[in-house]
Amino acid sequence: MNLRTFRNQRLMLAALMLAIVALLRAAPAAAEPYLAVLEGYKCNVCHVNPTGGGLRNEFGLTYAKVLLPAETLDNALDSWTGKLTDRLRVGGDLRADWTRVTAPNTSSQQAFALEQFRVYADLTLIPDRLGIYVDEQIAPNGSQNEEAYVRYGNTTDGFYVKGGQFYLPFGWRLQDQTAFVREVTGISMTTPDKGVEVGYEHAAWSAQFDVTNGAANANTGSGYQVTTQVAYTKPIWRVGIAGSSTQSNAGDRRMGGLFAGLKTGPVAWLAEGDIVHDDGLGRTLAAGLLEGDWRLLKGHNLKLTAEYSDPDRSVRNNQQTRYSFVYEYTPLPFLQLRAGYRHNFGIPQNDQQHQQLVLFELHGYF
Amino acid sequence: MNSRQSPRSLLLRSGVALCILLVAACAGNGEGLDANGRPLVPGGSPPPPLSADLQAIQENIFTPICSVCHAGGTAPEGLRLDAANSYNLLVGVPSTEVPSLLRVKPGDPDNSYIIQKLEGHAAVGAQMPFGCPNTQPCLTTSTIAFIRQWITNGAPPAAAAAAALTAPLAVASVVPDSTEPVSGPPPQVMVAFNHELDMSQLATHSMHFEKFAAGATPTVSEQVAARITVSSANPRALMIWPARPLSAGHYRLVVDATSSSRFSDIAGQTVALGTPDERGQAVISTFDVEVLP
Repeated sequence: MNLRTFRNQRLMLAALMLAIVALLRAAPAAAEPYLAVLEGYKCNVCHVNPTGGGLRNEFGLTYAKVLLPAETLDNALDSWTGKLTDRLRVGGDLRADWTRVTAPNTSSQQAFALEQFRVYADLTLIPDRLGIYVDEQIAPNGSQNEEAYVRYGNTTDGFYVKGGQFYLPFGWRLQDQTAFVREVTGISMTTPDKGVEVGYEHAAWSAQFDVTNGAANANTGSGYQVTTQVAYTKPIWRVGIAGSSTQSNAGDRRMGGLFAGLKTGPVAWLAEGDIVHDDGLGRTLAAGLLEGDWRLLKGHNLKLTAEYSDPDRSVRNNQQTRYSFVYEYTPLPFLQLRAGYRHNFGIPQNDQQHQQLVLFELHGYF
Repeated sequence: MNSRQSPRSLLLRSGVALCILLVAACAGNGEGLDANGRPLVPGGSPPPPLSADLQAIQENIFTPICSVCHAGGTAPEGLRLDAANSYNLLVGVPSTEVPSLLRVKPGDPDNSYIIQKLEGHAAVGAQMPFGCPNTQPCLTTSTIAFIRQWITNGAPPAAAAAAALTAPLAVASVVPDSTEPVSGPPPQVMVAFNHELDMSQLATHSMHFEKFAAGATPTVSEQVAARITVSSANPRALMIWPARPLSAGHYRLVVDATSSSRFSDIAGQTVALGTPDERGQAVISTFDVEVLP
């Protein structure tokens, strides 16, 4: 057997494994939801967490090793499976970057930074029924628990319940936690909350209903946040609706959002629009996102985003916009390089609303 | 030609139109607004230059940068940094991420959690402002120095609030009160004054909660003892803690009729709390607790 034949057999084996796992799991995704839109997957196809992000499941890891990178290494399938034992799966993400931020009449800032190092673990106590999940940010600074919950039920087809600390489901679970839609709603992968989630997964449907403390009620016990989301996923499109209501001494907050995805050839389109009303502050905010991801070649993705934010709809002429251009190159399994540029636009009298950002990022994952 | 569009076609066209609108959306021209994007007040003054004064810090840092997220019903960690709340939620208040540290410890910037978060060496969580240095600038050392100096100076309230110190002693706010029913057992009632209180005049157990029975004639169905404390770092606020969690119902917080407590400031001014009821007790606050199932 020559080397080429051997390599082809390994690739065929990889593709076969992927197909088998896909058939068995019938669903996955990432904190890069454009991949889910491109493939027509639900979040739980690639992630242990049925609402996406964090630890990749067996299919997700295989996807990351075989289909995502430009080059599939011969030994990639053998090297790392994420499983320490039959019951314990671990994973992680490390992002380090160099950024330069400039704004008019302000000294530019540039720095190397460790953006995050997160590790995930999922312990299966009863297969397909009971498990414990942990998402811990190790760095920068000290360790911080992001998610820690007990999960009971079937997260691929049927009802499940989560109890503990977890991210709330609301719109697209984007990698950019500072996106206007995440900033305005205050719901992102940096703002976990404590409470209970009841979820339902069946065929094209995903639904969640959460009762949590609400971020503003930290240590006060003065109210609750109720959040719900329903999404319908088809191979080339999806649509979802989300709503949330928070009671707190700071004033009640109500939010609504619509999000959708569409695949047109090699391009995945993501859109989201949210509206937020703060009773306590007497203001209504709105934010929108449009993202296009063009998979140029295997391992190469061009991401373009346009964002819109209105921090108070009762005030005229105060809107902000933001446009980003990011090139993502995944040369090998477990390694991604990102380079990007972002330009903010806002009111002329506020220099910080006209920031420009240049970004180079190294992303290792397992 | 069929003039009727299919729902799918209509949805697609609407989506494309929405996308074009979003891409073409323009930022506001700022006309009629101040630098923080708020409407200009006729005759109003521009924000003061940044200095070691809370009002200047508020208008140059907290309002334009921090309160984008730290405001309203989903303020992270319950920390609201809008002008109405920043002082009371910062000074002398334990941080939720590291409760052993105060958010602002007057006179001690190094052990004030806000400084650790802004400088990026807090034990927990990301550096603030969130996203810095990746998506927005961190506060410069010289900017943080103004906050450090304000804390070193004892973290006094804003100049406007300081002016209120010349006013007679009075209750500034009571939380909760009748204007905001609480949806769970409140851990405490806070009574904030405009002056620093004289602790020596207070009796720890001189207040209690009264729960009213439902019915046409309001009658007290039970009493819950209470304990009064004052934060040494924020001696302008009384914290009244119920001896046990309050169940759902209609409550009022009253001063014992036989109490010898005097509510006075360190200058010796006194104030009579609440409104006297038929039994001679002073009613400080009336509120409803709605416990969700």
